[in-house]
Amino acid sequence: MTRSVSSPSRAAASAAAHLALAVLAAAFLVPLLWLVFAAVDPRASLRARPPSGLTLDHFRAVLTPETVFVPVGNSLLLCGGAALVTVAASVLAAYPLSRYTLRFRRPFLYTVLFATGLPLTAIMVPVYSMFVQAGLLDSRFATMLFLAASSLPFGIWLTKNFLDGVPVELEEAAWVDGASAWQSLRFLVVPLLAPGMAVVGVFTLVATWGNFFVPFILLKSPDRLPAAVRVYTFFDQYGTVRYGELAAFSLVYTLPVVVLYLAVSRALGGRFALGGAMKG
Amino acid sequence: MRRTPISLSAAALAAALTAAGCGASEDDPDTITVVYQDYGTFHAADTLFRKVKEEFEAAHPEATVELRPIEAPAEDYQTQVNLMNGSPAEAPDVIYEDTFTINQDVEAGYLAPIDDYWAAWPDAEQYHARADAAVTALDGHRYGVMLGTDTRGLWYNADLLERAGVAVPWEPATWDEVLEAARAVKEEFGAEVTPLNVYAGTPAGEMASMQGFQMLLSGTGDTLYDEDAREWRTGTPGFLASLEFVRAVYAEGLALDPRDALNPAVGTLNNEERIPAGELAISLEGSWATQSWIESANQPWPEWADTMRFAPMPTREGQDPGATSMSGGWSLALGSASTNPDLAWEVMAHALNRENATLFAVEGAQIPLRDDVASSEEFQAADPTPDAAADLVDVTHFRPAYGDYPRVSLAIQQAMEAVMLGDATPEEAAAAYADEVAGVVGPDNVREG
Amino acid sequence: MAAVTAGGPRAAALRLLPLAPAVLLLLAFFAGPIVWTVWASFTNAALTGAAAADTRFVGFANFARLLADPAFLDATVLTAVFLLASGVVGQTALGLVLALLARHRSAPVRGAVTVVVVGAWVVPEVVAGFVWVAFLEREGTLNALLGAVGAAPQNWLYTAPMLAVVLANVWKGTAFSMMTYAAGLAEVPTDLEEAARVDGAGRLQVLWHVVLPLLRRTLATTLLLVTLQTVQVFTLIYVMTAGGPGGRTTTLPLLMYQEALRFGDLGYGTAVALALLVVAGLFSAVYIRALRPEEVR
Repeated sequence: MTRSVSSPSRAAASAAAHLALAVLAAAFLVPLLWLVFAAVDPRASLRARPPSGLTLDHFRAVLTPETVFVPVGNSLLLCGGAALVTVAASVLAAYPLSRYTLRFRRPFLYTVLFATGLPLTAIMVPVYSMFVQAGLLDSRFATMLFLAASSLPFGIWLTKNFLDGVPVELEEAAWVDGASAWQSLRFLVVPLLAPGMAVVGVFTLVATWGNFFVPFILLKSPDRLPAAVRVYTFFDQYGTVRYGELAAFSLVYTLPVVVLYLAVSRALGGRFALGGAMKG
Repeated sequence: MRRTPISLSAAALAAALTAAGCGASEDDPDTITVVYQDYGTFHAADTLFRKVKEEFEAAHPEATVELRPIEAPAEDYQTQVNLMNGSPAEAPDVIYEDTFTINQDVEAGYLAPIDDYWAAWPDAEQYHARADAAVTALDGHRYGVMLGTDTRGLWYNADLLERAGVAVPWEPATWDEVLEAARAVKEEFGAEVTPLNVYAGTPAGEMASMQGFQMLLSGTGDTLYDEDAREWRTGTPGFLASLEFVRAVYAEGLALDPRDALNPAVGTLNNEERIPAGELAISLEGSWATQSWIESANQPWPEWADTMRFAPMPTREGQDPGATSMSGGWSLALGSASTNPDLAWEVMAHALNRENATLFAVEGAQIPLRDDVASSEEFQAADPTPDAAADLVDVTHFRPAYGDYPRVSLAIQQAMEAVMLGDATPEEAAAAYADEVAGVVGPDNVREG
Repeated sequence: MAAVTAGGPRAAALRLLPLAPAVLLLLAFFAGPIVWTVWASFTNAALTGAAAADTRFVGFANFARLLADPAFLDATVLTAVFLLASGVVGQTALGLVLALLARHRSAPVRGAVTVVVVGAWVVPEVVAGFVWVAFLEREGTLNALLGAVGAAPQNWLYTAPMLAVVLANVWKGTAFSMMTYAAGLAEVPTDLEEAARVDGAGRLQVLWHVVLPLLRRTLATTLLLVTLQTVQVFTLIYVMTAGGPGGRTTTLPLLMYQEALRFGDLGYGTAVALALLVVAGLFSAVYIRALRPEEVR
């Protein structure tokens, strides 16, 4: 700080930077205002205006088992499960990819990454037939695994790069001491990799939480559908007339992800660490 | 090229595994699966089948009726049912089927003919003969039984028309008289009231094509498809006249502002907000519009009966039969993969019996096809559909029920949109439509002029 | 990282064992469907109609039709525009600017900016769509704000649909780029910059000649991932405009959806999907060539 006081040009630059940041932050915030205002405004419309009054009626109207609790529970099951599976499978897969010289490493990574560059909507038709034939339709567990598989390429990619940043010397020492690869993975690598795993988990959760198309096709029973499908059908059917309830529903639906993000980023010391993961 | 056989066999293997459905169906023959739509303001099918399930299972203790309500708009409902039909293990036994898709689904092998069941069914004689065509496929077999039908026409706010100096009850005899009334409303109220709603453009989707365009075209004597010659028609005078009507309505500012007309939710906004608020004088709309106003609606408007009246849409010059309409209709059909078609038919027949048909017609604001339902006091007392609308079944038309229709319909919506926005003259839009249709169905299947 | 190479084939197999769960999951759920997608694009496969009962091999007919279809050409251009504007320029530039601006700020300022930007990212796609519909509608917030300075209200989703979906996607996706660049910048040694500064280089010169070259690999990787995500964006556009008005926001994923699921033409729809992959591949090849993320520093 002393420096910026001593140098007027630096102070001006710093003020300009703060101003620019404030404007940008405001631009990111403004679209969200509607959500918050409409959720508590008894006469909600599309316009974001300071609420004409304060009401919790919209929340009361949507906080029922069939609108919110069951679907959000299903979302937690589907997306939380997918995040855990993705993290576990990614760590396992990233280990040999990072630690051993493998001829097929680059082709493997690029193939996997590009294959999933096919839009999910394109492959849902064969996926549906596959689920029917395997008797997996309407199974939350299978849908969860599918969501996990669809996040895997990204997860493996990130985890492998995180792992490249973890020095191999410790493991070599452990091997010399007779530890198996499994032991060194479990007791040395995983603890060092924890922040990266948390990042992958959050990424998977955020990406799958908003996906309505996959569960819409693969699940049938209304009581197994996740919130993404419920919020979409709610919008489609009543969105043009029940703004307040839609906003309240959206807030409740977004909340678990925000809480999780904050918890993870707190646990990582206030920084969502991507360091080292983005170097190809 | 050496690798081709390998990739082909791999593809074939995967295709066999994923698409063909080699495994035998594990269906329990005593379980009958019923798939239907349950969405938005439409809960009549859900009400009906819940009742059917309860009654049928009580009467047949060994049987189970499994309900598969699908909460999705019409197009997505169709997609889901197609997916189910494409996988024998998942294919439903009884399908709540738009009569409009029967031909496609028959060609795909998804439906089973019901001629024998129908011939032996005592209730069959109650059905009006006009319900036959819609459920009979091109191969001449019957594939469904209609649950109900609908018509389209002009809903108008009598109060607004009266204040604008239009005599009420309003009975326009030609297109010009419709436009005159709309102009009178515009003169009286200016920007406060939208005089005339005609759905147009791609966001409104099938509403634009059916409630809008084909309600006009069917009053010109021309058609989209010549059933006798089995070919699509383009460049007809009627097609041009219909686009000209759309142009007039939008260019004169009689219709909604295009940016409002191009809102995908325009139908909901019209029926739930603009009409109850007295902001829309005349709307070319379905006979079921009352669904948005009755007690169980999202935004009930019980006073609707005080102001809203229904008038048939006239033909262009008032030529015979004077009025026109378009109809759709939903039926129950039998899935071809059903392991127990006899039991499935029994479930169907139960859902179609007099009591249940009455319930469905009332709940779904449908026009019943059984004479004993239409004439029953019970139905008459609860019937939400205006008589004028119900009578239109005598002059109504249906959409060409072929696989190419969805694309043709999109081309119609695009032509309307170009005209409403002033991007093209009716002539240019009609020419573009002709090109598009030739591309979709192949030049050999089109007759121009 | 080549650490261990000793051991026979058994040891090698054992070393690859950890790959098994991931590979099995991917094979189980994706191998079949992807092969099927490629196969279907050479057939007239359909959801219903005669072709559903009798699916035939049609060679390259679907691809020939693609190239002659103005809707496909439009959608390809729109996809490229959407990708360039929202993915490459929007998210990358804005993400980088935010990361640079926030770089030497105090922790609370950095935290506040991160929370706001990341807030947009964690909002589920469906909700993000509603939020932007509400923001841009004729009755919406933007018009209310513009009305305060006397501008006439308009339905932005109708008058500037592509701009609308681009803005929404930038809003939703910038957090990812910002986080990766912030992480990359944290590893740029400050003494290098100081040295350049002492040599008389200006702020922008330092940025261009010192900082950005060091970010190259991060930039390439981020661009690659952002591209693969952006070409796939479906829900956001579908909720906001459903591809309209007049097809002006119909990108390839929306066209694919319309053809394959709405019209039930699986053969043509899968051909569109493969074309999308080509678009993504072309862009990725450009980054990989231009920025050479593989090169060892």
